Amino acid sequence: MSAHMPSAVKKTGQILIKGISNPDELNLDGQLPFYSFKRFFVPEKEGLFDYQNNKLRDKKSVYPERSQRALVGMNILDMKAVNLYDQVFEKDPYYQARRRNILIVGYSLTPEIENNIFEHKYEEDILEHLPFDIFLADYNAPSSRELRNSPPLKLRGGSGGLYKVFTGSIKGQRILEHFGYKDYEHIQFSGPIKEGEADKRMERLRDRLKNHHNPKIWEELGKFCIECGKCTLVCPTCFCFRIDDLPSLENNAGERSRCWDSCYYQEFSEIGGGHKFLNSTARRLHFWYFHKFARIPDEFNFAGCVGCRRCAAVCPVGIDIFKVLKDIENF
Amino acid sequence: MHNPYQPEPAKIVSISRQTSSVKLFRFEFTQNIPDWKFSYQPGQFVELSLPGFGEAPFAPCGGIKEKYIELCVRNVGKLTARLHAMKAGDKVAVRGPYGNGAWPTGKYDFKVQKNLFIAVGGLGLAPLRSLLLGKNYFLGKDTKVQIFYGARDPQEMLFRHEYENWKKLKIKMELTIDKEHAGWKGHIGLVTTLFDKCDVLQNSVAFLVGPPVMYKPVLERLKKLGFADEDIYLSLERRMHCAVGACQHCAVGSYYTCKDGPVFSWAQIKNIPDAI
Repeated sequence: MSAHMPSAVKKTGQILIKGISNPDELNLDGQLPFYSFKRFFVPEKEGLFDYQNNKLRDKKSVYPERSQRALVGMNILDMKAVNLYDQVFEKDPYYQARRRNILIVGYSLTPEIENNIFEHKYEEDILEHLPFDIFLADYNAPSSRELRNSPPLKLRGGSGGLYKVFTGSIKGQRILEHFGYKDYEHIQFSGPIKEGEADKRMERLRDRLKNHHNPKIWEELGKFCIECGKCTLVCPTCFCFRIDDLPSLENNAGERSRCWDSCYYQEFSEIGGGHKFLNSTARRLHFWYFHKFARIPDEFNFAGCVGCRRCAAVCPVGIDIFKVLKDIENF
Repeated sequence: MHNPYQPEPAKIVSISRQTSSVKLFRFEFTQNIPDWKFSYQPGQFVELSLPGFGEAPFAPCGGIKEKYIELCVRNVGKLTARLHAMKAGDKVAVRGPYGNGAWPTGKYDFKVQKNLFIAVGGLGLAPLRSLLLGKNYFLGKDTKVQIFYGARDPQEMLFRHEYENWKKLKIKMELTIDKEHAGWKGHIGLVTTLFDKCDVLQNSVAFLVGPPVMYKPVLERLKKLGFADEDIYLSLERRMHCAVGACQHCAVGSYYTCKDGPVFSWAQIKNIPDAI
């Protein structure tokens, strides 16, 4: 069993997700960690089978081997991405085995508006559309940073009464009850989207991408993009993968594993004989944006971007998704 | 939970050479697999798995009622080179079949209303062979089928010893090769040249399988002949890893070639940039 949370700001300026060894260190300041919580759900590499000679054998356990994990202080943007993983990996036994052992303890503060392109903010009525077990709603947001010096977690009805507490699963209820905490409200998950209310911005972007293809946007960006794939690493909604057989040092043995891929990499679309369907930087850029703003909406009815802007933060040539979306809408 | 990545063990039962770089492999599962778990329609594909070399998608090309699976494979990469070096009796594994888009044989009343026109290049004949072998079953005994088939040279034509049998099924082959070749008395030029030399069957549905470069010029010809977009079907080729619509490699617009295809109607994909 292990628990993880966003760290305080490091010397490098980054907030990382770290293991919690001492509950007194619990840090809830609502800042967006540099990496999302993606790898806890869709790890960068995981074994699917072991093989020996011509036989495939099941892996003994699903990665990661420690069975249960708690993710504490997960922000609502990264929680939105979990809705996507839950859909994409619905029928994936490796994902499901891992997912049912993850406890999500969400937290209400979201990054400042300028870092959050869709201006998502916490309101109680979004909770029924987010996947979580326990949720801590901070109603003293502005002063919450001062809390670092005070005892870490004050629940409503407790000594400080700072957080309103919700549960989003039976698992969450059991845990709170186990610790004798009863002053929580339960929220029934009602699917990732609000019924009858299509997101207007999502509709507009999808329409532009599907019905008004403008190659100029991509050709222009293609002059700058160096296809490093950093944006795909930090993006919480980038989940594409490749499957490879990796030999071990033993003879005729190894592992069939899947690992994160990136549609910016040259061989992403290469087929036997060497033909590449995405044969230019412009096409690969378009593929990335189309996936998030047209294909995912078509598949699941919600946007494939949570608006965290991490991709812009890591882009070495300064491509900002916020501006690209404006271009898609305005040309 | 059912594991979609779990292939079923199979073995090679026979191998025959088709061309200098293509062999036809016949596989059988080594355990009994119930029909609900494995039966395919022409146009679907399977993932062939060689532990240590990975997996690759191939369209079965044998009769769908047989207890074996036939795959026609060109030696172009690591996995296919390995397969070409294997012998009868060697072990492999197969998962699938995949693809909801099979050839739409049930959509048309082929007996009464429609004929079938096929334009195909090179290795593209493989995914159509299941359909041709089962022609009476899928299309009816009296349905006329016309095939425009282009290959680099006469030795590159797949299944060339079967064309006589196909003729008996009312399947008419028009053949062309890219360049002049000693002993070849037939047509010369790309598949599109056949449109100038032969009359296309009236009132047809068109099925296209070929190298990506073939599609645009053939579509142009078909549109000129008045084929409706809904009556033209293409089998798309893409890189694939998962085959179940998750890994993103085979995405075409909002479709996945593995899950929604690999056969699409032109009406479905004509507005998607770079679909062909």
